[in-house]
Amino acid sequence: MKRTIQLLLVLVLILSVILAGCAKGESKQAESKECVITFGAAVSLTGKYAKEGEYVKNGYELYVEEINKQGGIKVGDKTCKVALKIYDDQSNADRSAQLVEKLITEDKVQYLLGPYGSGNTYATTAIAEKYQVPMVEANGAATKIFKRGFKYSFAVLTPAPYYLRGIIDMALDADPNLKTVAIVAENGAFALEVAQGAKDYAEEKGLQVVYFDKYAKNTKDVSSLITAIKAKNPDILLGAGHLQDTLLIVKQSKDLNVSPKVMGFSVGPTAPEFRNALGKDADYIVGGAQWTPELKIQAEDVFGTPQKFAELYKAKYGEIPPYQAAESAAALIAYQKAIEAAGTLDKDKVRDALAALDFMSFYGRLKFNEQGMNVYKPMAVMQNYPDGKLYTVWPKEAATKPFLYPFKPWDQR
Amino acid sequence: MTEKQKGPMTLSRFDKLASNRQRLLLVGVFGFIVVLFVFPLIASGFWMRTLTLLFLLAAMAQGWNFIGGYTGYAAFGNVAFFGIGAYGTALSMLRLHFPFLPALLVGGAAAMAFAVVIGLPVLRLKGHYFAIATVALATALGEVADFWTDFTGGAAGLTLPFFRPISLSNYFFYYLALLLVLLGLGLTYLIMNRKLGYSWVAIREDEDAAKMMGINTTWAKVVAFALSALMAGLAGGIYAYWNTFVLAEEVFKIEYTLQMILATVLGGPGTIFGPFIGAFMYYILITLLVFFLPVGQLHETILGTIIILVMVFTPQGIMDFLSGRKKLTLSSLLENIRMHRV
Amino acid sequence: MSSLELTQGVVNAILLSGTLALVAIGFSIVWGILNIINIAHGAFIMLGAYITYWLFTLFGIDPFLSIPLSMLTLFIVGYLIQRYLINLVIRAPLLVTFLLTFAMEIVIINLATFFWKGDLRSVTPAYSGAGLTLGMVQIPYIRLAAFFISLFLTGLLHVFMTYTKAGNAIRATGMDIDAARLQGVKIAHTYALTFAIGSALAGAAGSLISVSFPIDPTMGGAYTLRAFLICVLGGLGSIPAVMLGALVYAFIEVFSGIYAPGLKDAIALFVLVLVLIVRPTGIAGKAFYH
Repeated sequence: MKRTIQLLLVLVLILSVILAGCAKGESKQAESKECVITFGAAVSLTGKYAKEGEYVKNGYELYVEEINKQGGIKVGDKTCKVALKIYDDQSNADRSAQLVEKLITEDKVQYLLGPYGSGNTYATTAIAEKYQVPMVEANGAATKIFKRGFKYSFAVLTPAPYYLRGIIDMALDADPNLKTVAIVAENGAFALEVAQGAKDYAEEKGLQVVYFDKYAKNTKDVSSLITAIKAKNPDILLGAGHLQDTLLIVKQSKDLNVSPKVMGFSVGPTAPEFRNALGKDADYIVGGAQWTPELKIQAEDVFGTPQKFAELYKAKYGEIPPYQAAESAAALIAYQKAIEAAGTLDKDKVRDALAALDFMSFYGRLKFNEQGMNVYKPMAVMQNYPDGKLYTVWPKEAATKPFLYPFKPWDQR
Repeated sequence: MTEKQKGPMTLSRFDKLASNRQRLLLVGVFGFIVVLFVFPLIASGFWMRTLTLLFLLAAMAQGWNFIGGYTGYAAFGNVAFFGIGAYGTALSMLRLHFPFLPALLVGGAAAMAFAVVIGLPVLRLKGHYFAIATVALATALGEVADFWTDFTGGAAGLTLPFFRPISLSNYFFYYLALLLVLLGLGLTYLIMNRKLGYSWVAIREDEDAAKMMGINTTWAKVVAFALSALMAGLAGGIYAYWNTFVLAEEVFKIEYTLQMILATVLGGPGTIFGPFIGAFMYYILITLLVFFLPVGQLHETILGTIIILVMVFTPQGIMDFLSGRKKLTLSSLLENIRMHRV
Repeated sequence: MSSLELTQGVVNAILLSGTLALVAIGFSIVWGILNIINIAHGAFIMLGAYITYWLFTLFGIDPFLSIPLSMLTLFIVGYLIQRYLINLVIRAPLLVTFLLTFAMEIVIINLATFFWKGDLRSVTPAYSGAGLTLGMVQIPYIRLAAFFISLFLTGLLHVFMTYTKAGNAIRATGMDIDAARLQGVKIAHTYALTFAIGSALAGAAGSLISVSFPIDPTMGGAYTLRAFLICVLGGLGSIPAVMLGALVYAFIEVFSGIYAPGLKDAIALFVLVLVLIVRPTGIAGKAFYH
């Protein structure tokens, strides 16, 4: 009896390994008459970036729904429907990489879409490059991703160093006498690039950077930082990080009564979460935005205008789309235009078509430099107004409301 | 505060080696290893990747087994060695332009050196204090690596070139990791047949008595710690090159320590094959839960529940059942509770 | 640094030490009496925080008034867990209980994330942000209240341990379990009571934390780590030892936050290791709990 049990256990182990190997032989899709283009992605549906990951998934899905209503993507003289295969990478770069490898080798998707966040994008682009499968990502803005000479990775979003430029321009436009700026960043690849880009640009514009430091990822307390900033009394406070830390910084600057003339963050203020968590405390705070629903763009794509996208998104998901959703949809639009131009689904030809793309989408201009980054699309700025809503305040031509300056000090609210 | 782990009597295990059951187990394991060698011929990239990760985990578990299983010092920070191995290898390749294999050895050596330097003071602590000190060190090291941009690339990490030719890359790492596991098995076997191995068990059972018998406990402990570092460090170096990037928050993750401990405990601490079998069970289970079963977001709950059940019923792992020392009956499962309840 | 930074830093540290002492005290009695390092301590803190959050958001109950409720809930949860789970393996080697509490933490956090999502939440009553201003130094009312409440609860614990029969039973069990048993102390129940108290205090700490900081299911881990550090720094021997440890740690954290924001934890951890090596019983501690 004991011998049998033990033999059984060992056999089970061996069998499971063999079965797993056979999984390779399985073909998940039956031969169908209809052609379907499958895009695969590992997205953070749980974990640290769950909220943002959800926006990304929504963006991908909304596009697929809309394009399939029109029959699909034109490939030569056929029209192919679009399908998505999304896995949860749990906000974990390891997992993300594993999943992308699974998508390529097991699920045999044709093209890849990006995950959320520079860390995960960094990991997954390496896998895509290894297998020479194109990946168009929309949520990893660190330029590091693109300094590796990869040929198969493209990013539709404006890169990190540009994130806070809009805010600086806008601030100086409202008050040319502003002198000093404090910049804080989370200790992460993306945030550090944003901060450095902001610092360089601020200095270019003649501002003095009086405080420039980073805080630990996932920090629970920035009161020391805020205390140090208070001592410098900057005109402008800029922060680069993620929603979590941005909320913390705002809360604690209120606690310590730190009120610069302009308070802006690269990530956070434009998400509905921000207002929900802070209530009135969110007023006057500005955030850089890759895209806003109020931009005046006329596009020849499935959405046509930012307003139309917002309308469809709101109908499906119940809230105004954050830019993460828009840029994710834009990634698919980039693919669509590239596939249409190439006239084939061949991976290398589509890759070449992506490299040559120059298209105005509802999200903004889609064009990639030789490293694969989209340096051709400017950043907008949104502000939380005291009426509880978010408005585009910059660039002026696209603004729905004027920029409210200055930031109303905490003790006057 | 000076509890030691009561483990199976490993000394007598070797006397019983000739017994049928042991022979069967041995055959089973070696057969399994042969299968693993042949596996890449039929496997997909995903499964090769999964198994490669599994091998690295098994290697780390074997290393942990030296200090935690045999010697009874519950180290909770061995991921520190993994991280050091990863950074050591990456930095040697990038800054010193070493080819991969020498760089890997540098990574392993760096981890060992660190273990010796840190081990001398820290191994004087016992029980909980030792565990906390190791956790604290691993966490602190991770933060320093994250922060020290000039040396380690900081939060942005380090990027390594791809292994070329790319088509062979999966195979290279798979077999390399498998070799590392075999190295671990070999090391364990060799040591447990020698005085060093007996010293470890003696320390675990009663450190003061061991000292009185003339065993140089400090030396034995440090060697155990250093060897556990070697295994983890080599695993880290392989991981770095395979992944092509090294990020502090990834290579110093506490999850890795927990996985290596769980794997060892599941399989059977203080045994040769325990960590290997445990790593397999644990990792296949996790892979199924995460990638294939529709449990979605609750997989951690399931994992946690399983750990709780194992801790309550079979904290000595399944090795006892596999090798015939215990029968798989309800009574033997409850034995643990009987022995350890209030 | 400027005198503003210095004074504000000192104020911040003192205020922080109150809450941290509360965080650490529950952890320390479980460690001292039961010899268990409760990795799930942070998860209990998180539960306390969420109880306050939901009471505030759904029923408008003031966060400070919700503290007794969160304490009671965690008390019951802690009692049941100790009595019917941990007691089963309490005399097993340290690794077993370590992994057990670690698994508990995984389960609790995973369930919390599943039911409440990973989003950050905030408890912002109307009076948040208001505070005293002494010169240039800000003293937020909430932090002040948290400080005094923490002191109060800690004092309450001391009274309980010293002057009640149950409290004495707990201390006796920690000192010499066999003698306690011979005196008629019901060990299983006493253990459960101890763990329950530790959990209740964790819940209170969580409630207080929720008003000053954003909360999410993973918030607990950092507090468990700080509880470790504080117990080691101050020593396990007595309540004042833990409070001293909390004060010292709060200063380290606040001031390394000003000087080297990215290395805050690393510095604290190195200090920890040094203390462990040089004086394992901590600054004021003794070898056993009393």
